[in-house]
Amino acid sequence: MSMKIGVFICECGPNIAEHIDIDSVIKKIVATEEFKDIELVIKRHKLLCSNEGQEFLEKEIISNELTHLVIAACSPRDHESTFINVCKKTPLNPYLFKMVNIREQCAWIIPDKEEATNKAARYIRAAIRRVLYQSELLEREIESRPDVLIIGGGIAGLEAALSLASKERKVYLVEKKESLGGKASLYNLLLPRQSGGVDEIQKKIQDVENSENIQVFTETEVESVVGFFGNFEIVLKSLKADESRTELKAGGIVVATGFDLVNPQALSGYKYTKDDDVYTSLEIEKMIYSDGKVYLKSGEQPRSVTLVNCVGRDEKGYCSRICCGAMIKIAKAIRDLSPDIKINVLYRDLCLPHKEDQRFFDEVKESGVDFIRVKGIKLKERRIEYTGMDGSKSEITSDMVILAPAMVPAEGTEELAEILGIPLDETGFFQEAHYHLNPVSTTTEGIYIVGAANGPQGISESILQAQAACGKILTRLIPGEKIVPEVKVSEILESFCTGCRTCLEVCCYGAIYFDEEKGVSVVNDVICRGCGNCAASCPSGAIQAKHFTSRQLYTEMIEAIR
Amino acid sequence: MKDISNKGALIPVKGGVRKTILEFAKSLLREGVFDGILISMRVPAKDSYAWVLIKDPSFIDKATPLAPIIAVQGAKALKSFTRKGKGSMKIAAVMRPCEIRATVELVKLNQIHLENITLISIDCPGALPMSYYIKNPEDGEKDFNDLFSGKDRTVSTRAVCQICDHFSILPSCDLHFGLTGEEGEGVFLIPNSEKGERILKEMKIKSSETLTDWKNSVKELIEERKKQRAERFQEVKSMVAGFDSMLDTFAKCIGCHNCQSACPICYCRLCYFDSAVSKQDSDFILQKARRRGGISFPVDRILFHVGRMSHMSLSCVSCGVCSDACPVSIPVADVFSYVADQTQGTFEYRSGEDIEEAIPVAQYQLEEVRGVEELIKQAEE
Amino acid sequence: MSIQIRIKKGVEQGLIDFLKFLLTNEKVSAVFTLRKTPKEGVYDYGLITDSEMLTDAVPLHPLMPVNAGQELSRFTPMKKPVAAVIKPCELRSFIELVKRAQGSMENFLLISYTCAGCFRFDVSLEDQGNKHLSDYWKAVERGENPEGIRETCTVCEYFVPINGDVTVKLIGEKFNDEAVLIFHTKKAEEMAEGFEGERSEVEQFSDKIGSLTEKRRSEKIKLFDRIGKEMKGLGGMIDVFGRCIKCHGCSRVCPICLCILCDFESSLFDYDVSQIEKELLRKGAMRLPTDTILYQIGRMNHMSFSCVGCGMCTEVCPANISVSAIFLRTGEETAKLFDYVPGRDIEEPVPVTVYKEDELSTLGEE
Repeated sequence: MSMKIGVFICECGPNIAEHIDIDSVIKKIVATEEFKDIELVIKRHKLLCSNEGQEFLEKEIISNELTHLVIAACSPRDHESTFINVCKKTPLNPYLFKMVNIREQCAWIIPDKEEATNKAARYIRAAIRRVLYQSELLEREIESRPDVLIIGGGIAGLEAALSLASKERKVYLVEKKESLGGKASLYNLLLPRQSGGVDEIQKKIQDVENSENIQVFTETEVESVVGFFGNFEIVLKSLKADESRTELKAGGIVVATGFDLVNPQALSGYKYTKDDDVYTSLEIEKMIYSDGKVYLKSGEQPRSVTLVNCVGRDEKGYCSRICCGAMIKIAKAIRDLSPDIKINVLYRDLCLPHKEDQRFFDEVKESGVDFIRVKGIKLKERRIEYTGMDGSKSEITSDMVILAPAMVPAEGTEELAEILGIPLDETGFFQEAHYHLNPVSTTTEGIYIVGAANGPQGISESILQAQAACGKILTRLIPGEKIVPEVKVSEILESFCTGCRTCLEVCCYGAIYFDEEKGVSVVNDVICRGCGNCAASCPSGAIQAKHFTSRQLYTEMIEAIR
Repeated sequence: MKDISNKGALIPVKGGVRKTILEFAKSLLREGVFDGILISMRVPAKDSYAWVLIKDPSFIDKATPLAPIIAVQGAKALKSFTRKGKGSMKIAAVMRPCEIRATVELVKLNQIHLENITLISIDCPGALPMSYYIKNPEDGEKDFNDLFSGKDRTVSTRAVCQICDHFSILPSCDLHFGLTGEEGEGVFLIPNSEKGERILKEMKIKSSETLTDWKNSVKELIEERKKQRAERFQEVKSMVAGFDSMLDTFAKCIGCHNCQSACPICYCRLCYFDSAVSKQDSDFILQKARRRGGISFPVDRILFHVGRMSHMSLSCVSCGVCSDACPVSIPVADVFSYVADQTQGTFEYRSGEDIEEAIPVAQYQLEEVRGVEELIKQAEE
Repeated sequence: MSIQIRIKKGVEQGLIDFLKFLLTNEKVSAVFTLRKTPKEGVYDYGLITDSEMLTDAVPLHPLMPVNAGQELSRFTPMKKPVAAVIKPCELRSFIELVKRAQGSMENFLLISYTCAGCFRFDVSLEDQGNKHLSDYWKAVERGENPEGIRETCTVCEYFVPINGDVTVKLIGEKFNDEAVLIFHTKKAEEMAEGFEGERSEVEQFSDKIGSLTEKRRSEKIKLFDRIGKEMKGLGGMIDVFGRCIKCHGCSRVCPICLCILCDFESSLFDYDVSQIEKELLRKGAMRLPTDTILYQIGRMNHMSFSCVGCGMCTEVCPANISVSAIFLRTGEETAKLFDYVPGRDIEEPVPVTVYKEDELSTLGEE
């Protein structure tokens, strides 16, 4: 097959033509000795990116039966895709085309015309030599998957599942515990109107379980995720004895893994045991939920209760936002038991962000609950030593102490972040793409973080975020849409690979797997993004990045410096 | 030297230290503690040594636990056995400390599977240059015997052996034979891992001897060697300082790649510098020749050496087989050892010691490399 | 028809003058030849484009740091040929490579000479005062085997170049006083046009060539006999190749071994542990790495009939095995069966590509 290279030099209006002597460039190229055996069709044009220019190119490619194409013009970032689209209208494979930037890299930066002309000629010569080593690469389409994986069956996960599921969009809901509902299903009273939410939450759980379009996996966790937006490949692992695996494909992932409370006993300054009447807010919530009241281990009603807010706030370095409201609610619940119980609330700061919170706080305060602002506290069993804002030290011993521990990311968050390849911020919660302007997305397209997994927040905020993520998914992950995976991927030559796995370690997309039988590494060419890290890391050169092979790069480089 | 166990067993020497170690190896096979032992053996023509995997105890009599030369690096022999996976047989490999280190590096590179393999090392007095031994095997035997028994410490071992500070027990071995230098006393058998302890238990050997004296003498020798290493490296530094020095040092190189093939760490099936990617366009070669008036063949020999350094120096264990293999007597091992010390030092990485410590090349953090910029600045000043 | 040109200068100078002539008159794009390097006592093959640099050239020195035929096959220039001064065995190996499409005669002006052999590495690397060199030239003049040459050089009977473009007369000639160059091909004659020198018909070679050939032939019989005895049977093979460490240095420097990845280094010889364990159970003991002798036999099988006995393999072997003598013997004995001589005729196809089934049917009878 004889080679015929088309070389088209764009004037780009005056941008290139005034700074580079194009005719001279053409002469230099035609005179190049090494090209004497190659058939070149070399022309100039006023503006190749214009409609007329594109038509011109198309005609030239077809009528000259060009086998390769070099275009010297502006930056590839501007018009490489334009010219690729022109190629696609012809029999010429777009990967046998090389674009040369003689505008930003020559015309616009070199004031001396002769110098700029020489450099342009060099670049174009280098591209001509390189393009001969390029290979046809075939693009293919795969269907993007509209289905969504939701990790976490709490209130945020449930909300997202219900909003997304439809005939054309399956939802896979994965929950590591035995039942759905998360922490929200443990609260009897929802602020501020003390009205229950239990029934509503239970209804959501039932709707999810009954839905045809939602597949629920309980006692299951996510083992691995590779891929990209529209095409994630997921492996789930059952936490039951059989440890069975399930493979799934989804187009988007919603992370709704929620929170845990920090263990106060792990903090310095909190010394108590299981035998002491010291409880966390969650334990009290459970107590009220099951028994309708608060009582000591002896069974009796406490005569005095001290609630301690902001437990662990200094250590964690952030405010957990919902505990003040929860503690006021608990204080009210205790006050409702008897007007005689002495109730104190020790706090560092008060966080009352919602529109009803202030009024609720005032009510509770008026009911005879003492709110004391403190600088620091030390707990030993039921005795609390605290430092007031003026520096004075006091102490208080009550029948019952209730602590409001800081919210921390749920157990397994670090591992999940590793699996998903998304970052955590300094607080340890998942990091959003932008704090203000893009709070539910992550740096990885297609993976969203909602609810307490994103950071300390309550039920209404969690629902808000879930709906926000759903909005993004509904508009972007459209059933039936096609995606074209990267075609300039890496390729591993089996006969040269010794299985050292260095490439696996440097691949940030999880696109390389190890074939145990053959003892070689293999590239998953659908997941591979063509970054070239693996090709650079392989000491034996067994990996080549398509369209950027060592041969192509060397040839271009060597010709450029000839 | 990492803190090793303070106790070992003292095995009485009968018929020489090496024979004693062989008897122990035999008993390991007889008692079924191991199914096979990988150990050195003199070749039938008596002019070299090879690795033999022995199952039948009667072959052990022909073996030599520590050969006078390193013909094939022990890690390579182990690799040829267990590259593709772990075996079902329990194998003990009796090797030099540098071969154990190379083994550990190859494990990290997935070229050796260490399950079912026990690593046994011996205090190493060094090895003789292979070319010397092959020319006069009988003289070589005598020289090594003298060296081994401590009678004559002036025997010329290889250049890298003379500056080796890793000749004794290492964190990565399971069992170690500590020599006391005087024949007739005894040889210490020191368990250095759970595997090692289990084996002594199975053999009903108690580690009841304190090792203080031996440890002290080893420490002393390590300090001595460290000094010599630093001195030698000062010389080597000038051999590689700048391109001209490199050209001078590698002037005789004929590009045969023997150093790369002998090296246990160079695990690539096809060396990058032999592959088609490094084949150059002849007109480019001609152009280079035009520019300089003339160029030497084979082309890119210095590039090969620098490239090899950049690919393997993080794992280099200073075993010296590269110098032995060089047909034109270039001190490859000295140069590569020096560079390895520098590169490993940059990442505070010691090759072949901790099997859990990943090789920096795939794991290094950007901050670690920022420190190198400082080093370069300092070096330039 | 060949012509001869005589230059009234020492042979080295005369040859260098010719090379200078070729360069300065742009008849060639470059000259490939042995030359001094900046390091004392170290020489290598250089590709020279600046005729001034030819003062460092030592085209006829008895040195072979690498096989030039191998280097030439990796280098195929574009427009103007390159003049290369190489030894007869290097020329033959280059022809073997051209037969295997690894190079082209077209790109070169091949200059060779009657060769008395080249030094072993241990000799050339320690010859600080050039003592060996001066003894060498004396032997060349006398037509004898010089001291310190490679084992296979001492038995080489193909030391008069075949298939080159130019031959320099050396052995048995008065080369201190004159340089005599023979131009065999039209290409060579055209290149020589304008070069100053006494032109004549080709004079006969010195009769010392004949006597040296005889001497070498009888040495070869002795050498091959000895090696045959040493190598006899599996026991002999084990004795001879027992020192081999499978470094593959021999195949890498061998011009004929052109495979990018040798079969014996490929995954073909990567065994499963279970295979080795099975063998171990069977035999009781097993040498590792395996297949050393198989590699040697395999390499013999793949290339020995093209072996020209250049001796690079022996030089590079870290275990000092006489690889070249062994392979040359096997090679020549095998090639004889097909009436083949490597490098003799560029049209002569490599036997393994054209032999007929019945060619070997008589072998059993012999």
